[in-house]
Order: sequence, then C-alpha cells, then structure tokens
Amino acid sequence: MEQALILICSIIAIGTAVMVIFSRNTVHSAMWMVGNCFIIAVLFLLLKFQFIAILQVIVYAGAIMMFIIYAIMMLNLRVSDDSAEPLKNLLNGRYLLVALLLIGLFIIGVGFGPMALKGSMTDPAMVKFGEVELLANYIFSEGLLPFELVSILLTASIVGAVYLAKKN
Amino acid sequence: MAEYQNIYLILSAILFTIGCGGVITRKNAIVVFLCIEIMLGAVNLAFITFSRANSSPEGIFMVMCVMAVAAAEAAVGLAIFVLLYRKTGSINIDKFNLLKW
Repeated sequence: MEQALILICSIIAIGTAVMVIFSRNTVHSAMWMVGNCFIIAVLFLLLKFQFIAILQVIVYAGAIMMFIIYAIMMLNLRVSDDSAEPLKNLLNGRYLLVALLLIGLFIIGVGFGPMALKGSMTDPAMVKFGEVELLANYIFSEGLLPFELVSILLTASIVGAVYLAKKN
Repeated sequence: MAEYQNIYLILSAILFTIGCGGVITRKNAIVVFLCIEIMLGAVNLAFITFSRANSSPEGIFMVMCVMAVAAAEAAVGLAIFVLLYRKTGSINIDKFNLLKW
C-alpha cells in the first residue's frame, strides 16, 4: 500500500518536473513547478516528517513560487522566446548528463550501504517529544552557528535585492 | 534504514538529472531558475531520506538551510533578472554576455 503510494507520487513528481522543462509558456512551467513542490511535500509526509512537509509547502509553493510568478508578470513573458529545440540542446550536453546520472548512481550506492549511525530522532522519541522539539534542540545547541549564519545570509540578500532592483 | 529508501534515492537522482538537463537546454532565465529549484528539491529529498535512515536531525537542519538559501537566491536572482530585462529587453540567457571577454 505504502509502496504503491510512493511509486505513484514518484511518477507524478517526474512527470511534473519534465513538464516544467517542456512547457512553452513560462507561466505553465511555474504552475507545474508548484505541483512538483506539493508532490515533494507529500513524499516528506510519507517519510513521516510533517514539519518539513509544511515548511516545504509554505516556503517553496507559497513564497518562492509566488515570487517567480510575480516576476513573470512584471517582465511580461507569457511565451518564452527560446524557440531553439530542447532535444538538440540536450544532445549537445549528453556527456554532462551521463556524468550527472553517474553521480546520482553513486549517491544511490551510498544509500545501499549499511547505516550504523543512530541519532536522537528515533520513532519513539518523535512520538514522545514531537519532531519540532527534537529539531529545535539540535538547532539551538550544535547547529547554532550555521543557524545564525543563515540569518545573516537572509539579511544580506534582502539588502542586495533592494539595492539591485532600485532605480538609479 | 528507512523502509523504501532506495525508491526515494532513485527518485532523487532522476529529479536531479531532469533539473540539470533543463538548466543546460533551456534559454529562458526564469525556466532555468525553476530547474535549479527542481534540483534543490531533489537534494532535499535525499537529505530527508538519509535523515530518516539514520534517525538524525542533521539532515532536516540541512534541508532548512537549503530552503533559506533558496529563498535568498530567489530574491537576488529575480532582482538580477529584472535589472537585465531593463538593460537588454529580454531574459534569454544567450544574450547575457556582459562578463564575456
């Protein structure tokens, strides 16, 4: 049952990702990308991480995609102007694609290996304390420095975006 | 071990390859940006799968960092696209050769 659900979600995810590339209309690409974000969130739910799934929907499908659609509207690009054949371009980049697929297979090979690491997020602990509490314990103890760096990065990007987009 | 770990990892690799193929084939800057988002989503999926397999919070923390970086990237990237559109009147990435020598 669960396996069938995972396979169906995988097929939908691959289909939406392919449609993002092959849509002529930029707005349609963005809409397929929203669907892809939702399906990835469903896969997170199937991995029993509810908090990350909600975060995925809010941040990706909500904030970032809204941003992109807003930019498409501002730039008035209903139909993209690349009429060059995607398949011909794909043939030109085939060695890179093969290399990437090999890297992906390497990642899969890592996944087949035995995993002995055991962290704090076991199933009983997640039932007892909740996922968010365990995550917060990690963030505010060991992950404090990266967390603060991310906040600095966000501030810097806001300042940079405002500076770039303002009219001189 | 997560139960269906291999399916997730294979899906992650396929999505990453699709995204990368889009980056190298499309000429529209916004679609290239969307393809980068697909690649980030695939990486997130792999991180979450490993986090599940090791029952460790580190993968989830990394996914949160990736989301924050994606948001920052969206803000700066779209500002750059607007700027280039003002300069050149299109966002075809073949026309962005300002730094070419």
